[in-house]
Amino acid sequence: MLVLTRKVEEKIQIGEQIVVSVLGIDSSTVKIGIEAPKDVRIFRWELYEQIQMENRESSKKQVEDVTQAAEWLKKHYSRK
Amino acid sequence: MKIHTRKFGEIEIDEQDILFMPQGLAGFSEYKRFVLIQEPETDPLCWFQSVEEPNLSLVIMDPLIFKQDYTIDGASVIREMKWENISENELLIYVVVNIFASQNSDRKITANLAGPLVINPENHQAIQVIVPNPDYSCQYDILTPETPESEELAKSG
Repeated sequence: MLVLTRKVEEKIQIGEQIVVSVLGIDSSTVKIGIEAPKDVRIFRWELYEQIQMENRESSKKQVEDVTQAAEWLKKHYSRK
Repeated sequence: MKIHTRKFGEIEIDEQDILFMPQGLAGFSEYKRFVLIQEPETDPLCWFQSVEEPNLSLVIMDPLIFKQDYTIDGASVIREMKWENISENELLIYVVVNIFASQNSDRKITANLAGPLVINPENHQAIQVIVPNPDYSCQYDILTPETPESEELAKSG
């Protein structure tokens, strides 16, 4: 991993089109600004991690669990 | 063609039904080709089965069944994927489902509203998009909606 030390208001250039700026620091919180083309997808790492986890867990389900869950769903939504 | 699946053994699929995911699924980016499997026994849940990896098969469902106001920015997906000749309302949207069952009869089914699968039925491509909307939980509880009262009211009104 490349590690750079930057001060507030300093920036990092990534490739031709992406600029990351350190906007401010408040005790343990860093505020970061990112300029990038619209088609570059940017999100908090934790969100991506959780989506990966949901995918992995979903793929572990057995046919019996899913059949059972389908029964619950049918019951639940027919009551409404 | 025949494909191998851990859950259903060897199954026959129509090659035309294969969905191509240029970016793969989050956590499984190496697999690009999937089929949607719908079985009457597990309806409304269906399976997003990898053509290449028998063990990879997500449980998915139509979010509108449990959350009528679920929307995503389909136009931006179309732009990002450079899809042509398709409109936002033609896209098929599914959410990844998880099931928690325990001995003490606690039952919980959750849907990941923040990472829906968007399928273009015209060109047979799909993408898992990330929706950074704080209202869209990764584990939205399907069996106990957050605001059942307001939904009831909306229906009766």
